Amino acid sequence: MAELDVRKPLPAITPEAKTFWDNAAEQKLTIQRCQACQAWVWTPKPLCNECGSDKVVWTPMSGKGEVYSFTVIRQVVGRAASKSFEPDIPYVIAWVDLEEGPRLITNIIGCPVDKVELGMKVTVQFEKASEKIWLPKFKPA
Amino acid sequence: MSITNKAAIVGIGDTPTDRLGSKPGEPRKSSAEYIAWAMQLALEDAGLSLKDFHGQGLGVTIPTAYPQPFWPEEVSEILGITPGFLLGGATGGAGAVSLIGGMSAAISAGLIDLALVVGAAAPFSEHWGGGIQPGDMRDWEIPYGTMGPNSKIAMVMRRHMHEYGTTLDHLGKIAVTARYHASLNPLGYLRTPMTIDDYKNSRLVADPVRLFDCVMPANGGKAYILASPERAKTLRKKPVWVKGFGERSNPSYGPRAGSDALVMGVKDAGRVAMEMAGVKHKDINFLQLYDDYVIVVYLQIEDLGFCKKGDLKFFEDTDFTFKGQLPIQTGGGIINCGQPSTAGGVHHILEGVRQLRGEGGERQVANAKIGLISGLGVLPYGKNLGCCAVAILGNEV
Repeated sequence: MAELDVRKPLPAITPEAKTFWDNAAEQKLTIQRCQACQAWVWTPKPLCNECGSDKVVWTPMSGKGEVYSFTVIRQVVGRAASKSFEPDIPYVIAWVDLEEGPRLITNIIGCPVDKVELGMKVTVQFEKASEKIWLPKFKPA
Repeated sequence: MSITNKAAIVGIGDTPTDRLGSKPGEPRKSSAEYIAWAMQLALEDAGLSLKDFHGQGLGVTIPTAYPQPFWPEEVSEILGITPGFLLGGATGGAGAVSLIGGMSAAISAGLIDLALVVGAAAPFSEHWGGGIQPGDMRDWEIPYGTMGPNSKIAMVMRRHMHEYGTTLDHLGKIAVTARYHASLNPLGYLRTPMTIDDYKNSRLVADPVRLFDCVMPANGGKAYILASPERAKTLRKKPVWVKGFGERSNPSYGPRAGSDALVMGVKDAGRVAMEMAGVKHKDINFLQLYDDYVIVVYLQIEDLGFCKKGDLKFFEDTDFTFKGQLPIQTGGGIINCGQPSTAGGVHHILEGVRQLRGEGGERQVANAKIGLISGLGVLPYGKNLGCCAVAILGNEV
């Protein structure tokens, strides 16, 4: 039987996201904020999505938020799916709203899948995915 | 500016849905064959020939995994047409409806007086491969183990149930109604009537999304033909007029970094289309709503303004069958008739045209004069659907 390919897909470190990943490797969650209109900009962009200003600055976040919604992955399906996630099943994909506002797609970790609830308070925990990539995930606060 | 009554749908073509190639050894057809077949059916329906389309409009829906970057031009070559105006429908599953807007505008402006719009895909028969392209999905979703659109729509559905108390009974009513209509549609694929319990007992795919919440991928081709008023009046079938059109891509309700994921862009696309058409909710005789998921049909009924957000009683009290107060999905939708990738968006247009011609057979909406068609495409990172298009069609000028 063929070996399961356990290498998980990694994000590309694009120019606009490099600072995010550099900070994440130091366990710091940062998000761009517009200096002209104070809007949060996420995912990383070359300009403010609200007012068009290019004065967007990486800003430290509290790392606290709450679960806006979630799903439990119990099966690897679909064209874009990777078999590398099979050993993790069941696991939780969530939309987490940071207390500052932006919404992230992430995993809820450190919690049984049947204990995850909408509105649950969570806090960031970085998980190493490669030498350069630490993924921000969230655990119960 | 308006395109009201400046163009009409004068021909439709719909190949029977199949899933050939899902089992080893089955005969297979290519996208090219489905496209040619759908075009022939539409030409026959309109009483036009291939030669009529030289120098005219050709619109081609762009599939999610497409064979090559110049697909609309390749389709011109497959069909043997030299278009004078070539458009790709690049708004995903909304592309078919978007092309009603683009082609009607071109006809209205006098660039062309005929347009053929075709789409096809053969996901079970052809394997185009692909891989993951640059963008939010590659960099911010897949590394967390997301499983395509199911994962995101599951979060939308759970949030709606949480905020408004929506139950599987409310959603199941939509699923059961669409299946009932498919049972009356000779071009349906899933045609066995089902009950709310069948819906509730279907397998969980991405909790809380179940199998009967999801669209069914299929092979197939679909086409429609638009004509100027002058041309339309000389053709075989009664024209179905484009009364209104609206589109919103990348809609956001609230801050863009944290939008309300329960509101869809059809809210604004629908408002614009209805204003252009000069129609109110009471004037609309049926809805053909893009249905990649049951919850998406539900949200659209709210966001189009047929009821307030979270009005559960409306969904409990309304008969959505072809005989009811607000008929929806009268052909069964692509959940039951199959989704050949983004060409699935053509289904809702074709069913709308049949109803407005009085060709709805056993599922005909009585005295249908005005119908609303929606197209949706793309599930972006933190929001509801990213491309929303709405067309209002009618059978009177």
